[in-house]
Amino acid sequence: MIFLENVHFAYDGLYTALRGVSLQIDEGELIAIVGSNGAGKTTLVKHLNGLLRPDLGRVILDGVDTKHNSVAELAREIGLVMQNPDHQLFLDSVEREVLFGLENLGYSKVEAKERCERTLNNLGLEGLSERSPFTLSGGERKRVALASVLATEPRVLSLDEPTIGQDARQKENLAKMLGELNKKGKAVIVVTHDIEFVIENFPRTVAMADGRIVADGPTNSVLSNNEVLERCSLTRPQLTEAARCLHNVFPEVPERLTLIDDLEAVVVKILGGG
Amino acid sequence: MSFLEVFQYTRQDSVIHKLDPRAKLFMSIVLAVVALMFLAIIPLLIIFCCLVPIIGAAKSLRRWSRSMRGLSILLIFIIIFNTLLSTQPNPFSHSLALTLRLVALMTSFSVFFLTVHPDELSQALIQMRVRFEFAFAMSMAMRYVPTLGQEAYAIMDAQKARGVELDKGNLLKRIRNIVPIIVPLIIVSIRRALSIAESMESRGFGANATRTYMNVLKFRKRDWAVVTVSLLVLVFVVYVRIFVPLPTWMLWQLPI
Repeated sequence: MIFLENVHFAYDGLYTALRGVSLQIDEGELIAIVGSNGAGKTTLVKHLNGLLRPDLGRVILDGVDTKHNSVAELAREIGLVMQNPDHQLFLDSVEREVLFGLENLGYSKVEAKERCERTLNNLGLEGLSERSPFTLSGGERKRVALASVLATEPRVLSLDEPTIGQDARQKENLAKMLGELNKKGKAVIVVTHDIEFVIENFPRTVAMADGRIVADGPTNSVLSNNEVLERCSLTRPQLTEAARCLHNVFPEVPERLTLIDDLEAVVVKILGGG
Repeated sequence: MSFLEVFQYTRQDSVIHKLDPRAKLFMSIVLAVVALMFLAIIPLLIIFCCLVPIIGAAKSLRRWSRSMRGLSILLIFIIIFNTLLSTQPNPFSHSLALTLRLVALMTSFSVFFLTVHPDELSQALIQMRVRFEFAFAMSMAMRYVPTLGQEAYAIMDAQKARGVELDKGNLLKRIRNIVPIIVPLIIVSIRRALSIAESMESRGFGANATRTYMNVLKFRKRDWAVVTVSLLVLVFVVYVRIFVPLPTWMLWQLPI
């Protein structure tokens, strides 16, 4: 659906951030983008909705180059939530903040209201709809910012570091919501450093380093590849580490395991269960 | 906003940059006062001709002329409106003189702001007995101007991603579009100010009543020279202005 073709980008023409990135994103995919600080992850997602335009290469949406589309046009199809929620909240109630995006995209009052309510419920914000966003805590503001874009249900949703400042339950709620959107055929792209969040929820992982994609494939194989982990300054997931330890004692345990179910199955087998 | 460039410090290796900020401040004030004492084309042109070499000595002529070009629309406005609305006997010459005076004032202060680093400025203020907290607040304010600019761009990006069309629609709509930019900008600034204050306090800001400084400004011979010349010019001009009527050639006006 979206195809980035050999995208190069340098800030002010001087500070190179992307050095030839190609990425295909299809309908209904759940993709995590991981990588060290300064690898170009945020720069990459800003190319999806036209906030940044490639110096070289193309961004193709449904077979059409997007270079002539405005950001507002692209925002209908591609939602982007930035890292800092304070950069987008400006209205005096949480509800109006969420309605704002929906009204921009031309939803009817009834439909907008309905979507707004649903999103607030899903993100655990239902009790706060009349509050001013500026009186909320950091984590709550983050969720309001998420809600304002999630409510518009774009075909592609990209989130930059959505799990920062969220406790385990909120992360779970977020994951559940992303999963539901995904079931409706929406693609979800998340930029994050939260490896456990990626393993549990994202089947595909794109690893970036130094403005390039160094690995792109099934999450469990990307995140158990030592070379990739090294280049992206990622710590090995705990499950992979556990699998490696088990492998040293029981050679029949594969070294690369990232899913808890797989590990469970192997352990049960070793213990002679069925 | 390119005309503001002329008030922005640029790192250069020039005679003017090396002067003590206090000497420069005095020089700038004298130049401005002299410019304010005349409202005729010829004397202001003479002042102007003294200012240009100073800017040249600060190696900033190109920057200065770029700023003046940026300002030219405003200057033309001033000329047109004053000419049309003035009650003076010779409105065009009068508004021309006003404009020249504005340029001279801007230039004389730009000599100061172009060549004084914000740190030097706060040190100069402290050594002029301004309380450290105030001097510090001022240099912080200057330090955060570019940060605020970056923040504004980030906010614009975030709002565009929500479907706000910043550069579309009629004038009214565009003005209304400022709200989603300005409100977060103010909030973010206040939040930042509070958190900077907290982090400064937790690092012991204000723990010692008396401070010592690593770099202390010192008046050199050249600084004394600048101050002396400025003072002589000031005394001379004030004397002339009060006791000597201007010769008629100096009061020359355009025939229209």
